[in-house]
This record gives sequence, C-alpha cells and structure tokens, in this order.
Amino acid sequence: MNNRQRWSLRNIILIALIAIFCGVIFWGAGFLYTGLTVMLTPLGMAPFANDILMGLWCLAGPLTGYLIRIPGSAFLGEFLGSAVEVFLGGQWGASAFISGIVQGFGSELGFTMTGYKRYNWGTLLLSCLTTTIVTYLWDWFRSGYNQYGLLMNLGLFATRFISTFVFGGVLTKLIANLLDRSQVMDN
Amino acid sequence: MNPGLKLLLTILIALEISFTTNLVVNLVLIGASLIYLLAKKIKWLSLLKLILVPFIPAFGLLVSQLFYGHGGPIYAWILFSRIYAYVFIGATFTITSDITELALTLEQNFHLPAKFAYGVLAAFNLIPKIQAEIKIIKTAGMMRGVPLHFWSPKLYFKAILAAISWSQNLAEAMTSHGFVEGQARTFYQPMSLTLKDWLSFGSILVLVQLLIIFAPTLP
Repeated sequence: MNNRQRWSLRNIILIALIAIFCGVIFWGAGFLYTGLTVMLTPLGMAPFANDILMGLWCLAGPLTGYLIRIPGSAFLGEFLGSAVEVFLGGQWGASAFISGIVQGFGSELGFTMTGYKRYNWGTLLLSCLTTTIVTYLWDWFRSGYNQYGLLMNLGLFATRFISTFVFGGVLTKLIANLLDRSQVMDN
Repeated sequence: MNPGLKLLLTILIALEISFTTNLVVNLVLIGASLIYLLAKKIKWLSLLKLILVPFIPAFGLLVSQLFYGHGGPIYAWILFSRIYAYVFIGATFTITSDITELALTLEQNFHLPAKFAYGVLAAFNLIPKIQAEIKIIKTAGMMRGVPLHFWSPKLYFKAILAAISWSQNLAEAMTSHGFVEGQARTFYQPMSLTLKDWLSFGSILVLVQLLIIFAPTLP
C-alpha cells in the first residue's frame, strides 16, 4: 500500500497525525467510559467498562501498523495516541504513557510475528490477539485482575478480545478498504 | 529537573507501584506529589480536576474488588489509591513540563534522532487544528444527513486524508526551512542535563525504594 517503507520525516509526521486524530476521537468518546463505569459500578462490574472500550483505545496501533508498513510503526502510533491524552487533559498522567508503551508493544508484536510481509485479515487478527494478551497481563497486576475468580477473568478476557477485534481489526480493515479504493496511499 | 529525566522518573515510579501492594506507599507518594504540586502553585481548578476525574474509575474498581475480589478490603483500597497515585505523580510531570522542551531534551540529551523529535513535535502542535478538523468533518457529514460516529470508518477515512496532505505539507515546509534528515544540527535553545539533575533523579529513586522496602503493611 505504501511504497516508501522507511522512517522518512513525512512518514513520522503521518503516523503522529493519525495517532493524534485517533486520540482526539476517542477523547471525545470519554463520556462513554464514564457513563458505562457509573452504570456498572453498583453491580461491581466496573472493570468491564474498561474492557468493553479497550479496542477503541488500542485502535491507533493496528491502524498505523497496517497503513504505514514499517517495523515499529504500530508501536509509535499507539504510544503517541496515548501521549495525546496526557497533553490534552493530563488526568491520567504517567500511567497513560505506560499504557501506551504496553499497548504499543502488544499491537507491534502481531506485525512482528508475520515478519512485516503479509498484511491481511490474519495479520490484524494476530495483532489484536497479541494486544489483548499483553494488555491483559498488564491489568492482571495493575488493576488487580489476579484477585478475581476464573469466570470473571474469562468474561473480561473475552470482552477485551472482542472489543479489540471490532475496533483494531474490523474497523481498521474497513478504513484500509476505503483508502485502497481511493488509491491515496499509492504515492 | 530536566523534563526528559523527570518523565523517566514518573514512569519508573508508576511502574513500580503497579507491582507494589502497599497502601502506605501509595498514600505517601500521593502526599509527596501533592506537596510538590502545591509548591509549584498549581491552580485550584486543576487540583480539583485531579481529585474529581479519577474518582469514578477508582471507585468502580474499589466496588468491584469488594464484591468479587479475593484480596480483601485493604487490597481494594490499594487499587483505589493506586489510581490516585498515578494521577498525582503524573501531574508532577505534566504541570511543570511542556512538550517543546521535552522534544528538545529528548533530541539533545537522549539521542533521539532529530526527525522523530521535530516530526512528532510538529504533529503535536497541530492538535488544535486536528480538533477543529474533526468538527468540520462531522458537521459536513451532518449537512448531508450522514452522522459520523467514532465507529464510522468514513470519519477515520476523512481524517486520514487530511493527515496525508498535512504530513506532506509539514515535511515540505520543514525541508524548505532548512531541516535536513540525518544532518548534524546546531541548537537555538540548548537544553542542559546537569549533575544536579542526575543527583535529584537518583536520590528520589533511592527514597522511593526505601519507602517501598520499609513501609509498614496494613493487616
């Protein structure tokens, strides 16, 4: 899709801009997270709000990794997407940087496993799977998921994977299809 | 302190408390960050935001652990206070640093290639324009009776079209202002990374380790 597979100034700016666009769009959907958390808190199911929206937060990684085919682009896109949050409002502070590193590593891993050679549904599925596993491990410690029972953990993991696949997989592919049809990424 | 070093410090501390289950550690870190923020004359409104915004997710996590967790109430409160610790430690960085200085120091003191430092900085300076562009795209859609939501591929498609043309423009503008990739550069605003920075970095890190080792655990 993109012939200039190198870290040119233009590609770096493009990745950063796409990441910021994603960051600003999901910043606008922040009310959803708050609303879901408020609704689920009386049931004790608030972590589900986090996992339902996980895919939206992790969209920038698979998207930039899929569109700009350079090793490291998924990581950079996802990390910058989180960094936007720090500089837009800054409420999550240092923790958003770490989430960005963890999520970026997760989505990059999927592309690394294909050797940056194949770009199709399988690649996206793999990237979504690695994102889910890596971020879940992180929440296992950070958000105390290790203290929940098996059933709750299975539910959270499945929710997170579906969410990541819907946004990082399906939405990314639909966006890429639109870009393919318009042939803007060719030159 | 040098912004790059300060960022590294906040990330290291946040990483450590993610694996530390001690309520006292979290409370001391929140207290210390609060004192630092007050000393830096943080605006009252910003402080209020720091306290209110994390409350909903922190409370949600607390209730969930009390209902379904096997760790007991102290563990639930550790998670609650951990979110506040992240936010307050993070604020010590965001309140006192700006992104231009961070980019400059990452380039000059931490050997980040100039194209990354300036490329990303250029993109970040467009944040207000990006926010406006998303409004324009959504409004244009509504005028044709097509509402664009955060799950609409077309919203991202149009955003990426803008990103492609802007990235081309920005890269050309930077080149025409004399930016050459991979060339050695002189600095208009030199950033310093002094022994004093390293000393305060080291001593804060040591203090946090002592705190984590010696802080009493609640029953």
